[in-house]
Amino acid sequence: MDTKYIRNFSIVAHIDHGKSTLADRMLELTGTITAREAKEQLLDDMDIERERGITIKASAVTMHYEYEGQTYMLNLIDTPGHVDFHYEVSRALAACEGALLVVDASQGVEAQTVANAYLAVETGVEIMGVINKVDLPAAQPEVVAEEIEHVLGIRRNECFAISAKTGKGVRELLDAICELLPAPADRSSEPARALVFDSHSDPYRGVICYVRVFSGKLRVRQRMRLMHTGRSYLITELGKFRPAMTPVEELGTGEVGYIVANIRDLADVHVGDTVTDDANPAQDPLKSYQPPMQMVFSDFYPGDNTEYSKLRAAFEKLALNDASFSFVPQNSPALGFGFRCGFLGLLHMEIIQERLERENDIDIVQTAPTVSYEVIMSDGQVRRIGSPSELPDRTHIQELREPFVRLEIITSTESIGGIMKLAEARRCKLVKTDYLNPTRVMMEYRAPLAEIVYDFYDQIKGISRGYATMDYELTDFEATNLVRIDILVNGQPVDALSIIVHRDNAEQRGRKLILKLKKAIPRHQFEVPLQVAIGGKIIARETVKAYRKDVTAKLYGGDVTRKMKVLKKQKEGKRRMKSIGSVQIPQKAFMSILDTSD
Amino acid sequence: MSPHSAPSDDEAPGLYLHVPFCASKCGYCGFYSQPTAGRDMHRLVTALLTEVRRHHATPAVRTIYIGGGSPTSLPVDLLARLVETVASAWPDAREFTVECNPGQAGVEMLSVLARCGVNRLSFGVQSFHAGELELLGRRHSVDDALRSVRQAQDLGFANVGIDLIFAVPGSTLDSWQQCLESALSLGIQHISAYSLSFEPGTPLYEARRLGRIDSVEEDTDRAMYELAIDLLAAAGLAQYEISNFAREGFECRHNMGCWENRPYIGIGPSAASYWLGERTANVADIDAYIRRIEAGLTATEQRQQPNHDDCICETAVLNLRTRRGVDPADFQRRTGADFRKVFAASLHRHERDGLVETQAGRIRLARRALAVADSVLCDFSSL
Repeated sequence: MDTKYIRNFSIVAHIDHGKSTLADRMLELTGTITAREAKEQLLDDMDIERERGITIKASAVTMHYEYEGQTYMLNLIDTPGHVDFHYEVSRALAACEGALLVVDASQGVEAQTVANAYLAVETGVEIMGVINKVDLPAAQPEVVAEEIEHVLGIRRNECFAISAKTGKGVRELLDAICELLPAPADRSSEPARALVFDSHSDPYRGVICYVRVFSGKLRVRQRMRLMHTGRSYLITELGKFRPAMTPVEELGTGEVGYIVANIRDLADVHVGDTVTDDANPAQDPLKSYQPPMQMVFSDFYPGDNTEYSKLRAAFEKLALNDASFSFVPQNSPALGFGFRCGFLGLLHMEIIQERLERENDIDIVQTAPTVSYEVIMSDGQVRRIGSPSELPDRTHIQELREPFVRLEIITSTESIGGIMKLAEARRCKLVKTDYLNPTRVMMEYRAPLAEIVYDFYDQIKGISRGYATMDYELTDFEATNLVRIDILVNGQPVDALSIIVHRDNAEQRGRKLILKLKKAIPRHQFEVPLQVAIGGKIIARETVKAYRKDVTAKLYGGDVTRKMKVLKKQKEGKRRMKSIGSVQIPQKAFMSILDTSD
Repeated sequence: MSPHSAPSDDEAPGLYLHVPFCASKCGYCGFYSQPTAGRDMHRLVTALLTEVRRHHATPAVRTIYIGGGSPTSLPVDLLARLVETVASAWPDAREFTVECNPGQAGVEMLSVLARCGVNRLSFGVQSFHAGELELLGRRHSVDDALRSVRQAQDLGFANVGIDLIFAVPGSTLDSWQQCLESALSLGIQHISAYSLSFEPGTPLYEARRLGRIDSVEEDTDRAMYELAIDLLAAAGLAQYEISNFAREGFECRHNMGCWENRPYIGIGPSAASYWLGERTANVADIDAYIRRIEAGLTATEQRQQPNHDDCICETAVLNLRTRRGVDPADFQRRTGADFRKVFAASLHRHERDGLVETQAGRIRLARRALAVADSVLCDFSSL
C-alpha cells in the first residue's frame, strides 16, 4: 500500500479515561469487528488486565477505513496505561507517527496524562487532543479543553470532543486521523528495516515479533536478520492483527504486523531491535531505546524449601511473556534458596505475584520490595544493588546513591497543604506549582523513589479524598546520607528484613519497625527477642512473648472430627510463613517493614 | 470371652452410652444434655436399649462407658435396667465405667452399679472449693463429693476416678494445690484435670464476654497445669494423657482406645461412633432420637468416611496426646504408614526445638510441649 494512506497511531490516556472503549468503537466503525464480537476491551487479552482495567502489554491492530473515496490503513498500537509501564508506552510510540491523548471530560487532565504527553513529545509524534465522555452529566469539555491547552500546549479549538461509549464524534475523529496525522515517510526503495516493538511467546510457533516496517519490505520465506544479535532466521509467516492474526505475503514500508520465524527463545529477541534483510542488510539499525530499568526488587522464597524447583519453573513460564521481569537465584542466610526478582514498578510486581499464585499452587513468602541503589566503591567501581543485604561493607563504600524521580501530582487546591506536608516528610523537593484552573493545581517534585514507591500514592489519595493523581519518571541517582537498618530475630540477623533509609529517620524507623514486627510475628512456644541494629549497634529491642497455653484439654471420641478440623485450620495459619531458625515469620511481617504509619 | 470366635481384642470396639440428662446444666458445659424436669426418661431408656440391641451382633466390646449428661440423674431402677442390659449383652468387657454425680449417686445406686458389674466409677467432683462449685454451676457440695467417693470405696470399688477443673476464675496456684491435695487424700486411682474452657454459648462464656468474670492469667493457668503434673506424679498418679493421670494399671482403657484410634460404638442422642471405618454421630436431639429409634430408623445423622490420609493423621494426633506416644511399629500396623517418613518435616522441626522426643523407641510430646500441644499437633493434622 502507498504509505500516503497509512496512519500509525497510539492512544494514550490515564486509567479509566476510556482508552479501551475508544479502541473498541474504532474497531467497530471500521468494520474490523462487529459490535457483537466486540467483547468489552478486546485489546486486553489477559484476565488480570481486564480485571484491573488496565493494559499491561502493548498490542496492535490493523483497520481499514474509507475516507474521501480512499481506503486508509489505520494501525492502532495499544499502550499500557500505568506509570510502571512507561517504557512500553514509549516503545509503542516509537512505532507511530501520531498519538491520541485522551482526557476524561469529567475528570480533566491527570498526572498520568501529563506524563504521557511528555513521552509523546519526547518521541516526536504528532499529538491530537481528545476529550472523551462528553455524554456524562458531569462533563465539562470547555474546562478540560482549557486545561489541555494550559498544561499540554494543545490548542483548545483543536481538541476533539467525543463519547467513545455512544460513538459520538468517533467517526469525525477517524476522519481527522486520516486528514491530520502524518503518513509514514516513503522509504520503500531502501533496504528493509523494521522495529520490533513487542514480542510474545507462542507454545506452538515460537516467538512472535510485533514489528513496524520503516523502510523496504519483508516477505515470507525471506531470511531476516536481527541486527542487535546478528542472528538470522527464515521468515515462515508474516501477518497482521485484524484483530485475529491474519497471514499476509509481505509487509511494506509503514505497515505494522507480526513475524513468525522459528525463534525459540524470547530472550533471543530484544524489543527495540531492528529486523533487516539478511541478503541485503541495512547499514544502521533504527534508533533504539534503552532497555527498561527495573526499579523495584523483591525476593520470592518458597514457603517450603522443597518447592524451589517448582517456583523456578513458574518464573520461567512467566518470563516467557514478560521480558521486563527478571529473576535470579538468591540464597539468603536466613531464608534459604529463592529468587531475587526485578520489576518495572510496584504494580508490575503485584501483577507478577498475582499471576504466580493464580497459575501455580505454591506457597510463597515474599520480602518487602526495595528500590535499586547505586554504590560507588572505594576503587571507583559503580555497582547497582537491588537489596539492602547486597550493600558492601561501609569501609568499601565511597558513596551510596539512591534513585530520584520527577514526580507530578495533580490535586485540588484545598489538599495542597496536606500533600506538601507529606511530601516534605518524604524528602521530596518542590520544583514548581502550576494552577491548572482556580481549583486544580499541578505540583512537580524531585523525589527519592524509595519514599514514594510504596504507600505514597495511597496517602495522597487519602489526603485529597481520592482526588489527587500522581505519576513519576526516573531522572537520576543522587548521593544521600543513607544507612542500613538490620533486624535480628531471636539473635539472628534476618537479611530480608533489612532496609536502607535516610540517616535522619533511621532510628525512628527502626523503632517503629520492630513494633510492627512484634505485632506481625505470632507467639511461639518460647520468647522471641527482636532487635534493631544500625551500623552494627543495637538501638532498640522488643520481645514477642511466648504463649503459655495452647492445648485442647478434652479430646474424646465425639470430638475427633471437629478437633482435627480445628488443628488443620491452625496449621493453615502457619502457611505463608518462613522459618528462621525456630521462629516462624509470616508473610505480613516481611511487608510490615514498608508500613511507615504509626 | 464370647463363645463365637471373637475378633481380636484389638479390633473389638469400645461402647459408649450417652445419657443426655442432667439435674441442671452446668455453667461451663458444652455437651449435649437436657434438664430432667418433665422428661419421659423411661421412654428414652427404652430407646437406648433398642439401640443397644441393634449392636448385639457385635460379638465383643472391649470396654463400656456410660456417660452424659449425668447417668446418675436417672431414677435408680431405670439406671439399673440400662446397666444390667448392657452388662449382660457383653459380659466380657474388661472395663465398665459409669460417670457419677456426687450427691446423686447414693449408696443404693452405687450398690446396684456394683452388683451389675460396673468396675470403674468416675465422679464429676470438679473442685473442692465451695465458691468454685458455685461459680461452675454445680449442684453438689464439697461434702457430697467426699461422701460419694468414700461410699463407693466402702462398697468395694477399687477403680475410682474424679474430674477436676482448674483455672476457674478467682482461683490461685495455692487454691489449686489445696484442691489437688484434697483429691489425693481420697486415695483414688484416677484424676482427669481440665483447664476451664469457655465454650461459646455457655453461661460462663457469656459472663466473661460481659466482663463479669475474668479468665485466670495464662501464666497462672500454665503453672497450675505444671503443678498438677508434678504433684500427681509424686503421689503415684502418673500423667498418661494431656489431661489424665492414673496409678499404674488404672489408666482408663476406654479412653485409651480412643487415643489409640481404635473403633468405638456410640449409643444415645449425640453419641459419636468410629465403627467399620466410618465416623458417625447420632442426632443431637432427645425427641428426634426417640422418634427415629421407635420408628425402627437409624439415629445416625452425620456420617463421614475418613480416607487413608485422615486415618494416618487422626492416629498421629490422638496417639501423641498420650504419654506413651507413637509406637512406630504399631502405627505402621494400624495405618500402613511409616510415621517417621510421612511426618518427617514436622518431626524434624519439633525435635530440633525440643518439643517432640523419642523415648524407648516411642515418639511423644516433650514435657514442655504439653501445655502448648495444639501448636505442635496441628502439624500432624494433615499430610
